[in-house]
Amino acid sequence: MIKKFIHQFASPKTYLFQVNKFYNYIFFISVFIYISSITWGLLFTPEDFVQGNSFRIIYLHVPASFISQSLYAAMAVSSIVYLVWRVKLAAYLVIAIAPIGAMTTFIALISGSIWGIPTWGTWWQWDARITSTLILFIMYLGLISFHNSFSNYEKADKLLSWLVIVGAVNIPIIKKSVDWWSTLHQSASITLTNKPSIDPSMLYPLIGSIIGFFGLILCLVLLSSKYQILIREKTKSWIKDYV
Amino acid sequence: MFEFAFNSFYEAIYMNGHGIYVWSVLAIVCLSLLVFFTLYSSKIKQIKKKLNEPN
Repeated sequence: MIKKFIHQFASPKTYLFQVNKFYNYIFFISVFIYISSITWGLLFTPEDFVQGNSFRIIYLHVPASFISQSLYAAMAVSSIVYLVWRVKLAAYLVIAIAPIGAMTTFIALISGSIWGIPTWGTWWQWDARITSTLILFIMYLGLISFHNSFSNYEKADKLLSWLVIVGAVNIPIIKKSVDWWSTLHQSASITLTNKPSIDPSMLYPLIGSIIGFFGLILCLVLLSSKYQILIREKTKSWIKDYV
Repeated sequence: MFEFAFNSFYEAIYMNGHGIYVWSVLAIVCLSLLVFFTLYSSKIKQIKKKLNEPN
């Protein structure tokens, strides 16, 4: 029953038509939320007592960092769906997400390094959080290169899915690195279980920037997956009607 | 909560010496998003054009 449901609603054709229907709404709402939250955070929140104005990088660094890990988790779930139920769309999503994951991880690393200069007095430290994030970035690049090295898409999808699942072990390591080891990087300010450790005047724009950035990244994933479908399904008759 | 945190536009740019860090990160984020949106939009346009060509 699950298999039937997945195959019915996750066909590339249905997906492509649904993407076209909702893309503009998601894009414009996300742009509005992101710009408002960033403006609020960068110009209207009070200065941090300890870090001064450099703390405002939080509104750019945290969304990128959170989403870089979430995207890998999404790739791992898609890989499982592909390997278990043989859903083609899931395989397309895995390779469609990878470049966007690399981009968000790159932003997380660069913004963290720039933030580190005024805060820690150094742009780089081989501590657990920063190193595991660098490993995530290298993994994204490696997965993209690995997939591109095959001429047989089906074989590439299968092997890539297995690699993504194996690599998923890095996600809890990144998440828990600040608790398991003594790191220069601070522990999480927002968790699901505890009360946020930052003031509401700083917290609300942060939540807004995460939601807005998530929306924009979702739009990129939709575009990237649309491109993958067009490339991989180009011989199908329905593609002619779509184009 | 919605009070402007600085006394002047110059102060908002300078941010007590931290402006260079904050604004450069903002520039990197915006540039990355812009590059990726442009790249995928043009790739989709190209493949659609190719698929529309008569065989």
